[in-house]
Amino acid sequence: MNSFRIARAALRARPAALKAPLQRRGYAEAVSDKIKLSLALPHQSVYKSADVVQVNIPAVSGEMGILAHHVPSIEQLKPGLVEVIEESGGSKSFFLSGGFAIVQPNSELSINAVEGYPLEDFSAEAVRAQIAEAQKIASGSGSEQDIAEAKIELEVLESLQTVLK
Amino acid sequence: MPFAWKAAGLTYNKYLSVAARVVRRSLKEDKRLIAERRGEMDLKFSKWNNGKQGESKSLAEANSASMAEAGSQSSS
Repeated sequence: MNSFRIARAALRARPAALKAPLQRRGYAEAVSDKIKLSLALPHQSVYKSADVVQVNIPAVSGEMGILAHHVPSIEQLKPGLVEVIEESGGSKSFFLSGGFAIVQPNSELSINAVEGYPLEDFSAEAVRAQIAEAQKIASGSGSEQDIAEAKIELEVLESLQTVLK
Repeated sequence: MPFAWKAAGLTYNKYLSVAARVVRRSLKEDKRLIAERRGEMDLKFSKWNNGKQGESKSLAEANSASMAEAGSQSSS
C-alpha cells in the first residue's frame, strides 16, 4: 500500500522533472549523435558528408560498427559489404572492392574505395562463373603472380557470393 | 597476418586493382559495360639518356615483370 502511494507521487512529480532538463539545454548537450559519412570512389561520391546513424564496415581487423563519437582510427577494408543505417531508419548496403575507412575526431567518417556498388547491381551468375574460372587458375600451373591474382579474385568473389545469398 | 599476394611480390596497388576488376566483372550486364571502361590502362614510358629517348615500354608489362622479380626474391 505504501509503495502505491510512492508510485503515485512519482507520477505526479514527473512532468516537472521532465521539463527541467529541457530548459537547461545548452550547446554542449545539443551536439548531434549522427556521423557525417563521406563514401568516395574515384569516379563518384556516393555520400558527401551525409548525416547517418551507423556504418558497419568490414575492416581487416574484423567487422565493426561505427557510431557517432567513435574513437579516431584508420582501418583497412577487406572486399566486403558496407552497411549504412540512415537517419530515416532504413539501411543501404554497398559492396566495396577494398580501401580505407578513416574516422576523424569530429564524428566524420571517410570511406575510400576503388569500386563500390549497391548489392542489387550484382549478378549471381557472373559471380558463380568467375569462381569456377578463378579456381581453375588458382590450382593450375601458372606463374606465382597469376595464382596470387586468382586467389585475390576468389577472396572477393566468395565474399560477394555470401552476401548475395 | 602476412598476405599471400604480398609473398608473391604483388603490391597493394595491384591487389586493389585486381579486386576492383573482379567487382566490375560481377556486375549486371548494363552496368558492367559502363564500369569496365574504367579498368582500362594503357601507359607507356621510356628512359631518356644523354638527351636521347630510350626504348618505349608498356608500364603494365614493366610492373608485372618487377612484381615477378620481387616474388622470386622473397620466396628464394
